[in-house]
Amino acid sequence: MAQKLVIDPVTRVEGHGKVTVHLDDNNKVKDAFFHVVEFRGFERFIQGHPYWEAPVLVQRLCGICPVSHHLAAAKAIDQIVGLDPQDLSLPAQKIRKLLHFGQIFQSHALHFFYLASPDLLFGYDADPVKRNVVGVAMEYPSLAKKGILMRKFGQEIIKMVAGKRIHGISATPGGVHKKISVKERNYFLDGKEIPSIDTMIDWSVEIIDFIKEYHQTNKAFLDTFAAYPSGHLGLVNKENGFLELYDGNLRATDADGNITLDDIRDVDYNSHFYEGVEKWSYLKFPYLKHIGRDDGWNRVGPLARVNICDGIETPLAEKERQEFKATTNGKINNMTMHTHWARLIEILYCAEMMKALLEDDDILSTDLLRKGERRSEGIGIIEAPRGTLIHHYEVDDKDRITRCNLIVSTTHNNEAMNRAVRWVASNEISGQPKVTEAMMNQIEVAIRAYDPCLSCATHALGQMPLELTLYDAYGNIVDERIRQ
Amino acid sequence: MREFDNKILIIGIGNSGRADDGLGWAFVDEVKDRLPESFDFEYRYQLQIEDAELIGHYARVYFVDADIASYEEGFRLSSCKPNAVHGFTTHELEPGTVAYLAEDLYNNKPEAFILGITGYNFELELGLSEGAKANLLGALKFFDEKILNLVI
Repeated sequence: MAQKLVIDPVTRVEGHGKVTVHLDDNNKVKDAFFHVVEFRGFERFIQGHPYWEAPVLVQRLCGICPVSHHLAAAKAIDQIVGLDPQDLSLPAQKIRKLLHFGQIFQSHALHFFYLASPDLLFGYDADPVKRNVVGVAMEYPSLAKKGILMRKFGQEIIKMVAGKRIHGISATPGGVHKKISVKERNYFLDGKEIPSIDTMIDWSVEIIDFIKEYHQTNKAFLDTFAAYPSGHLGLVNKENGFLELYDGNLRATDADGNITLDDIRDVDYNSHFYEGVEKWSYLKFPYLKHIGRDDGWNRVGPLARVNICDGIETPLAEKERQEFKATTNGKINNMTMHTHWARLIEILYCAEMMKALLEDDDILSTDLLRKGERRSEGIGIIEAPRGTLIHHYEVDDKDRITRCNLIVSTTHNNEAMNRAVRWVASNEISGQPKVTEAMMNQIEVAIRAYDPCLSCATHALGQMPLELTLYDAYGNIVDERIRQ
Repeated sequence: MREFDNKILIIGIGNSGRADDGLGWAFVDEVKDRLPESFDFEYRYQLQIEDAELIGHYARVYFVDADIASYEEGFRLSSCKPNAVHGFTTHELEPGTVAYLAEDLYNNKPEAFILGITGYNFELELGLSEGAKANLLGALKFFDEKILNLVI
């Protein structure tokens, strides 16, 4: 048999995760930190490149959500060529949205079926050899088959629009470069070659039923594990405040639902946010200026989005949102593990939106490009699968990028993930002299609710190369576990 | 659903940015334009679980990959047996695990083979080493004579 070579994947947003837990004299947890120690240089080395290269270059940030970076950069570069999102042709807007929904659909399917479901199905203390997607395939083949085909459906949408499943190119300054044919469209509608979009909707409803049933039997775990109050941030539809993933206003609430950012224009983000730094992590800590570093941080991603929106425009997803909100009597949901539930509601929303767009003849149009008056700055904000993604560029009169600022979803979630780690440290590790495999995985489970990129950035789906170090009150290492 | 019952799939595995690890892709590059209609081809950095669904649509599958083992001819064609054992990581699956999952999940059991081509240099470089190029030529000749000619 051929030897398998270990190959590093292409550059992702971040990779190696490290957790340190500090104990006091009584072996009680004094503090805990989640460090991200890999350096991202994209903001610097994109400088000097012509602005039209940005949507192509920046998608190399990530091998899982390159489409999100591609579209956020494209929205920013649209502004450089003088076009705001609504200035693009309607067909171009719809094709971009179809690409975006395909991306979120496949990414959410990857996260739930490949990364999260092993923890839910086998428990965080199960044998690590079994606790992964292959284990799920062997013991829950029906669930695995649906997960595989749902991810494939989203990838096929991306391939149709952008030419390739990973690192394809669709958006160009002012629109999209490729129209969609009737034959390409029908591939997703008729169910002859792959399961149809109607099947995707049915399966999305089924998987939400699964998580609701799981909640009934594992209520204590889902409701309390790594749960803590936080702010919530995301885009909402400019007209009605509904769930919005491609273009909207920024809204934030505090842990009790009070509005802390009142539907501001996304391009004004810089007036409302600061990015804090800590010496122990390369990852910054964004927060709302007017609230401050301690309380102005927000979660982003599915839970935040479902929390802050006033509704969902597709009927089935809206019904599920209402049921989800009922679990907290309409109040803000701060239960970290409910992020998985919210993610599945978004899967259904994306499936319904894809169906609407696939059945819309506008996507067959050749009216794909617009031109405007050149500007020197562009800001593109979208909701990526894991949360709010900001791309900000400035260019000189020779069309070269002079400044680039990227705030990715994981950065927004930095403080939230640290809180989750501290929760596990305080509730599961405090007072324990040894670090066990189950403790390690509980930290993973808490982080994984936010950002599966941490898992896959470092080669192993279902397992992060996590370092966990336990210090005593005098700074001596009590115990250390390293997973490679 | 589309059926590929009598078709043959070639999957080139590897990373051309790591010198001879690009042998699997180089093999597909060389043969893809002269394959008859009964063949399809794919490129992969690593095999993943969804490839189990893919290979289930084919009668026969060839996994072509660089190999660190040394063979007299510079390559070796071996049968790929379904294998339920998998390692800790699921980011990259062995061909045998993919074949097992195709059977277990989809009740499809394509005839599967691994064509391992010996490589020597796996550093961060573009291009094959001279030894790997020679082995690739040998594997291509074998493929043309022993596999392609029998299918056409």
